[in-house]
Amino acid sequence: MRRILIVGAGQSGLQLALSLQAEGYDVTVMSARTPDEIRRGWVMSTQAMFGNALRTERIYGLDLWQAATPQIQGLQVSLSAPPGERALRIESPIDEPAQSVDQRVKMAAWLELFEERGGTVHYQGVTTSDLDGLTSLGRYDLTVVAAGKGELVSVFDRDPARSPYTTPQRGLAVAYVHGMTPDPLWPVPHVSFNAVPGLGELFVMPCHTLNGNCEILFWEAVPGGPLDLWQERRDPNEHLALTLDLAKQYVPWIYERCANVELTDARATLSGRYTPTVRRPVAQLPSGGIALGMADVVIANDPITGQGSNTAAKCAAAYVEAILAHGDRPFDRAWMEQTFEWFWESTGRHVTGWTNAMLQPLPEHVQGILGAAAGNETVARRFANGFSDPTDFENWFMSPDKAQAYLASVAS
Amino acid sequence: MAKRHWKVRPYVLTGGRTRTRQQLLVHTLVSVPYYDSVFAAGLLPEQRTLYEHARETRSLAELSAFSGISLGVTRVVVDDLASTDRLLVHAETYESPFDRRLLERLLDGLRKLA
Amino acid sequence: MASASLPDNPTLTSAKIVIAGGFGVGKTTCVAAISEIPPVNTEAWMTAASEPIDRLDPGIDKTTTTVAMDFGRLTISNDLVLYLFGTPGQARFWPMWDDLCRGAVGALVLADSRRLDASFAAINYFEQDSDLPFVVCLNLFDGMLTHHLDDVRQALALSPDVPLITCDARSPSSVAQALMAVVTHTMQRTGHTAPGAFPAR
Repeated sequence: MRRILIVGAGQSGLQLALSLQAEGYDVTVMSARTPDEIRRGWVMSTQAMFGNALRTERIYGLDLWQAATPQIQGLQVSLSAPPGERALRIESPIDEPAQSVDQRVKMAAWLELFEERGGTVHYQGVTTSDLDGLTSLGRYDLTVVAAGKGELVSVFDRDPARSPYTTPQRGLAVAYVHGMTPDPLWPVPHVSFNAVPGLGELFVMPCHTLNGNCEILFWEAVPGGPLDLWQERRDPNEHLALTLDLAKQYVPWIYERCANVELTDARATLSGRYTPTVRRPVAQLPSGGIALGMADVVIANDPITGQGSNTAAKCAAAYVEAILAHGDRPFDRAWMEQTFEWFWESTGRHVTGWTNAMLQPLPEHVQGILGAAAGNETVARRFANGFSDPTDFENWFMSPDKAQAYLASVAS
Repeated sequence: MAKRHWKVRPYVLTGGRTRTRQQLLVHTLVSVPYYDSVFAAGLLPEQRTLYEHARETRSLAELSAFSGISLGVTRVVVDDLASTDRLLVHAETYESPFDRRLLERLLDGLRKLA
Repeated sequence: MASASLPDNPTLTSAKIVIAGGFGVGKTTCVAAISEIPPVNTEAWMTAASEPIDRLDPGIDKTTTTVAMDFGRLTISNDLVLYLFGTPGQARFWPMWDDLCRGAVGALVLADSRRLDASFAAINYFEQDSDLPFVVCLNLFDGMLTHHLDDVRQALALSPDVPLITCDARSPSSVAQALMAVVTHTMQRTGHTAPGAFPAR
């Protein structure tokens, strides 16, 4: 039985662990926190997952929350221009429902499930010296690092050719709230994307959290701009007040739905910022061991396209497939590089290219697409479905000539 | 498309052994119940070092520090050795660190030094 | 003072108190004052940024830092031993703090009245990120209290339910009293909760 060590217990690490466990592998997970600590901890993400990503979980029976979680039916895009006035509104259904399950709920339950099924979990934040020792111990056939938010990522070298940014592109501020009223214009569960050109974006989405269903209010602020008030970690209630204050000023149609909101719990906020970075997939440790990076360890995109957990799930599925296909052969450096390149080619580069483009002022052809989408259901739906399958964007969205050709084809 | 995978039953995954899954905290005590030099000679380097150092009752953190082996590796190796009964992970006598009997005993002990 | 070896007793069990605080506030002195073994220093090296990093940021630079934590030991009886774990100086190594605090009885957060800011991060950790009961303790380096405790409490923005005490970290009896304050505070904080309602952390 092949022995796999997975460092990190988030979407990608635990999905990989549970999938490989089901396939008969002897899997060990190192988690910095216990299930109980995760449940009592701070919110970690917004984690809206779309059809293609959810499918990778469901194959292994891991979507345990479908019945309890609001089924997101579509995407709504609004432009606030000039700031505070709604210049454009696009609503589009998506082909398959999306859903967001608070990772405090999900990761805690997945860890327990993994242990119940006989998996070994060691509760420890892994340092570089631990990783060095663990990879050279000879106990594991393969070590995968899936701890994207810790210090361990820095053992993976940044890939400058795939990382156009050297500084954070948005300040991030998340708040989970109860008490938001439904959108009067489109009262079905949906992800609402509200862009304030040049300044940032506010996302609103339904989510299943520790104490029932809620909404997530998520500001993305262009650094140094008037929305960027998230340099310091604030008291949660102050964080919420500021979130609402900015909504009132810049996206009043959202603020109108927030008269009675309150935080879902005492640790329902998150703020921070990071530099979108693609890293090289193999870490070489001083004592000779090697480790394979996965998900946001090696591909950390800005959350503006909401792809973090989707990419994590797809990465887990891709790695499972590559591990199974490799049989009993050694998981050497060449296999690791090949595995990542395959994932990069099939998923990573599409998500990264699209996400990095969305961080910039929208080019003319994208403005043209959004303008067309406002009056054309087909265009709107193709854009919305791209969140499930971002590989489609290169066929029509990413370049002016393809956009023009596509818009001409739907117009005729 | 959506097929459910469950190829191996849980007990097979643990090699049939019943895990007590004693949490290995940094202050958890471990000791070697009966030292076996033949067993020791057959161990891999890290296992052997930790086995030798655990002849004296020690916490996981002490074991790691005295052996010069990282805490992460110490946890993994101790867990393996404990599953073979070659190493004893001392049971937690108290239900929780907030058990009143434990706290009272600590107070009594500290009072002697105060 | 007990011998350096622990009793050879299969029912020997252990408890733990965390000694936290900023760099140079006397954590090692405090552990050394009461430990029956010389404080054991264990090092873990990490690749880490030299500047404080955001807890979301994966884009940190590659430099290697050694994080040291030290711990001491106190035999309470033939079947019970108390460990004292000093946290690494910088709060940003929070996964290690979680590991040290998991299953602890409580924490003693040391502060130096001449530079209270050195312990802000530690206090923030216990107030915001951990549910472990903790006591803040002003280490009187010269044995004298130069500030009113009320002023210190205000400067640290301590909530009223966090005890603020003083000690001389060089003195075994003073450290023992400080640790008693931690145990007593934990008793008060957890006294009315059912077993399991306040899970190990």
